Amino acid sequence: MGRFLGSRLLFYIAAFMVAVTFNFVLPRMMPGDPFEIMFAAAQGKIQPEQMAVLKEQFGFVAGPWHVQFWDYVKGIFSGDLGPSLTYYPTPVTEIIAGALPWTVFLAGTSTLICLIIGILLGIFSAYNRGGKFDSIVAPALAFIGAFPQMVSAMLILFGLGVFLNWFPVGYGYNPDIDAGWTLAFFGSVAYHAALPLITMVICGIGGWLFLMRNSMINTLGEDYITMGKAKGLSTRRVMVNYAARNAALPVVTAVAMALSFVVAGALIIELIYNYPGLGNEMLGAVASRDYPLLQGLLLIIVVCVLTANFLADLAYFWLDPRLRK
Amino acid sequence: MKNLLSFFKGNTPATVGTIIVLVFVLLSVFAPWITPYDANKRVARGHQPPSAEYILGTTRSGKDVLSQVIYAGRISLLVGFGAGLLATIIAVLVGITSAYAGGKVDAFLMFVTNVFLVMPGLPMIIVLAAFLGQVGPLSIALILGLFGWAGGARVLRAQALSIREKEFVTAAEVIGESKWRIVIVEMLPNMVSLIVGTFAGAALGAVMGQAALEFIGLGDPTVISWGTMLQWAQHSSALIVGAWWEAIVPGVAIALFAGGLTLFNMGMDQVSNPQLKGSKNLKRWKKLNDELQAQRKAKLAASKASISKKSAQDGVMPV
Repeated sequence: MGRFLGSRLLFYIAAFMVAVTFNFVLPRMMPGDPFEIMFAAAQGKIQPEQMAVLKEQFGFVAGPWHVQFWDYVKGIFSGDLGPSLTYYPTPVTEIIAGALPWTVFLAGTSTLICLIIGILLGIFSAYNRGGKFDSIVAPALAFIGAFPQMVSAMLILFGLGVFLNWFPVGYGYNPDIDAGWTLAFFGSVAYHAALPLITMVICGIGGWLFLMRNSMINTLGEDYITMGKAKGLSTRRVMVNYAARNAALPVVTAVAMALSFVVAGALIIELIYNYPGLGNEMLGAVASRDYPLLQGLLLIIVVCVLTANFLADLAYFWLDPRLRK
Repeated sequence: MKNLLSFFKGNTPATVGTIIVLVFVLLSVFAPWITPYDANKRVARGHQPPSAEYILGTTRSGKDVLSQVIYAGRISLLVGFGAGLLATIIAVLVGITSAYAGGKVDAFLMFVTNVFLVMPGLPMIIVLAAFLGQVGPLSIALILGLFGWAGGARVLRAQALSIREKEFVTAAEVIGESKWRIVIVEMLPNMVSLIVGTFAGAALGAVMGQAALEFIGLGDPTVISWGTMLQWAQHSSALIVGAWWEAIVPGVAIALFAGGLTLFNMGMDQVSNPQLKGSKNLKRWKKLNDELQAQRKAKLAASKASISKKSAQDGVMPV
């Protein structure tokens, strides 16, 4: 067990270093002096002392490249991602710490809900193959999922939020309620998260449903299913304990690969619903060309996706006894 | 030609998907002749609802939505197919080289592929685009192609590995054919369906990715594409104001095109795994099976009735 997880961990660390290198190389690869470009792009919003700080933060101080790189890496691992330009002099880590929980909450909860509902519906769809659910509802869900997320988000925002006024249309929680471990706060958080969650779930379910359905159809052709039925086990037991358990393995693998898409989707949803997560901060940083914040956000998003991938590997390891040898 | 037609026969998703994609391609090619108005000129007052004159209504700035959506389709399709082509070429090169060379080359290429797979694509593209400033469609196609090859590479490598074990490849090696010839003449023809599937998937991802990038504002705002139409709709609060056509039309266009590509992909899946096919045969089987079960039940009921009648006559307890 240790060997498999150990090699995965090494891989994730290597992937993280690739992201760090990407961050380091990017400003240096731009034609011309990157700081002139940044200064011009920011259109006078950057003060000269901020420019000096930027240069230092990016490691453009005197010294050959490998020294600069080493300083940069040291800075990252000691938690220093530099100051943000738009919120000068607030450090980037503080801004990220404020936004991170919201994105993790949104992406994590929606993925979990999508997964559970998608797997259950996929089992049901494969069981009643060719029936009404499989022929009509499943393709309809897939078609709704094919809508670009911004359109679904705008529709749900308009329909449920503005027109029917069932849910609030923006922000993470009601600003009148103080943040804290109170029921009112959590209630407000859940209330404000309803629309973004609904959007992400509706957009995502089609994919999981079809994945589980196809996986089940492949599994149902196996011999041990016939053996189970021949032994006299009830259909439900065969479906759940024999078929679904094996069919779920490719789905769990797909979770790891889908995580980067979930993050991308969360970015757009946060933009439309003005949800105070990493995505919103990132898009604000793009608009104001706040490069330190942008790069710090990228690193954190990469760390989140890699961590989630590692957790998916752990789950796969737990589910598939064959890997434990 | 017969092979091509047999691909579509009985394969509903492939047929419908190909038709949808072809319709979009034809609309884009014949755009200057079909569109009633110039897509860039203001032709009416803003936010006119759909009418006989402006079939899909007008945008906030008074441009005809129908003309815009057809011209925008050109750019979106171009970027989508271009990025898809680039991604597929890279995926084929990486996948087949990795499978055929083996050893350290394989390990290195697989490492690179896995890194690209695990990286969150959109945030990295956003940072790249932010550094580059405003990027035109060509740059977007390039960037999306460079980030979208990883999934296809893994799949193609798996198939190339399995083909490599086959006997005709070993035979060709024994004869002394050059490696290039083996790859191109022996292996590639067997992978065509998977490569086409990879292309469809990559094009799908590229269209969505481009829409997302332009929606955020990183595309060139002077070039109309479906993503920029959505961005303008968002900026003019089209839905809230009540001008739903400005937002829905490009959204439906993207969804239809994405749906067409997805259906085409599903069709390709059915070719490689016929178990997934065909509700027509399934319906017939179900009907026959139901009849069989009904017959069996009738027989069982009849035999039970005759046994209980017989035991009632003999004075024995019925079973």
